[in-house]
Amino acid sequence: MIHFRNVTVNYGYVPGALSDINLQLHRGDFTMVLGPTGSGKSTLLRLIYMDILPSSGIVTVDKWSSYRISPRQIRMLRRNIGVVFQDFKLIENMRVSDNVSLPLVIEGYRYSYIKRLVHALLDEVNLLHCADQPASTLSLGEKQRVAIARAMARNPFVIIADEPTGNLDREASKNVLNLLERINRNGTSVIMATHDYELIKDTPYRRIYVENGQILSPDQTITLSKNRINLLARTK
Amino acid sequence: MKLLFVLRQTFSNLWRERTPVMASILTICVALTIMIALFEISWVLYAQLRELKSNMVIEVYLDPALTERDARRIGEQLENYQTIERLRYISKETAAEIFEKEFGENIMDILNVNPLPVSYEVRLLSEFNHPDYLALFKKQVESIPGVDEVHYRHVMIEKLETLTETTVTGGVVVLLILIMAMNLLIRNTIKLSVYAKRRQIEIMKILGAGSLLIRMPFILEGAVEGLIGGILSAAGLIIAHRFIASSFELISFSPMIYKVLWVATVSLGILFGLMASAASVGRFVNKIFSKK
Repeated sequence: MIHFRNVTVNYGYVPGALSDINLQLHRGDFTMVLGPTGSGKSTLLRLIYMDILPSSGIVTVDKWSSYRISPRQIRMLRRNIGVVFQDFKLIENMRVSDNVSLPLVIEGYRYSYIKRLVHALLDEVNLLHCADQPASTLSLGEKQRVAIARAMARNPFVIIADEPTGNLDREASKNVLNLLERINRNGTSVIMATHDYELIKDTPYRRIYVENGQILSPDQTITLSKNRINLLARTK
Repeated sequence: MKLLFVLRQTFSNLWRERTPVMASILTICVALTIMIALFEISWVLYAQLRELKSNMVIEVYLDPALTERDARRIGEQLENYQTIERLRYISKETAAEIFEKEFGENIMDILNVNPLPVSYEVRLLSEFNHPDYLALFKKQVESIPGVDEVHYRHVMIEKLETLTETTVTGGVVVLLILIMAMNLLIRNTIKLSVYAKRRQIEIMKILGAGSLLIRMPFILEGAVEGLIGGILSAAGLIIAHRFIASSFELISFSPMIYKVLWVATVSLGILFGLMASAASVGRFVNKIFSKK
């Protein structure tokens, strides 16, 4: 489904945001991308929704390839994936229901269909009672659930979540993770970047560890993850 | 649904930036009012000038001592001019009849003698009714032996021509300045709207929105500003026309002019608004796009 082949990303003259990445992500998987701040996790995810293109190498997402992709094709790709951000990227002065309906408006669906679908999506994330409120009035956890509902609106084949729990407390973080797990159980792939090892320590999902722009081998990943978790446990 | 979204965004932009929006509307209104008023004044002046030129008669007075034969010979010379549209011989008797028609009295009854000279009434082809050619024609004809004086109402034509030219030239300069000011203000309003909504634009881009859907609310914003400016300008112009028509008995306007004013002013307003916003929104949105 998603394939990175010898991908390197340099920001301007600064080399090595990502170096020679080879990675394959499969349909239906829940994948955790781990690593400290600035390690290259977000860059890896931005490559998937082609917010940036690789300096060298090729990223293939479903039928789209970064090798030759037009702005129009990028728009089409983004209409088939859902993206969730740490800062939610909601339009704060817009009503919750309008925020969720935005991808459907872009798609050009009819009003009656949008209304029905938004109702179902908000029900799914337990925020139906907030539908007519401006997004700015919600708590951080609620905002993130609205962002997930919006990401789900077009029934994407993959949801990319870039530090979705970064701004949330423990309880809200667990709720968001549970929601993403539920979405994944229904067949949608989820790729989630996080540095919250405590939150994901008991999850059975595939883990990819990124450090200094490189993906560590599975053995290194397991060891590092354990060390981090142990470190976290000791500091508590 | 897209249309509804675009309209909601347009009016939200207008409300959010209401102070610069009002400045833009006011400028559009003033620019359109001056533009239409100048056009009307120039149109009236041109019409007057055309009327004056088409009815203009050059009178070629002959020496009273000439015989009728000599007078006819001068007429033959004048007929050689390709620029003359019509040439009419006015004998002393015909001149007396014209005098009686214009002043209501017979000159023979007043003076017992007819002092009116024999003359030719000349009408030039309309394209030669220009002050420069008229002066040349006068000079040439006056040099013909037997011609006493050549007379036409050149002062009035020259004055009207100068006034028309000054009005048009001054009008174009004022208009250009106003169009530039209007363009600048609309662009500034659009720029403020785009920057105020840059986060929304960024989000829409991430969600896969096309550039037309992103830009359309801003383009329509300019068109709405133009529409409101046009309506205000048309209303002002119609009030001014009604006031002029009621204040001066000699001036009246056809009812058609009011319809033309509405259509022309509002259409021009929308057109200017659309052009200014369409030209600027691309640049400002592209600035945001280029960063992403």
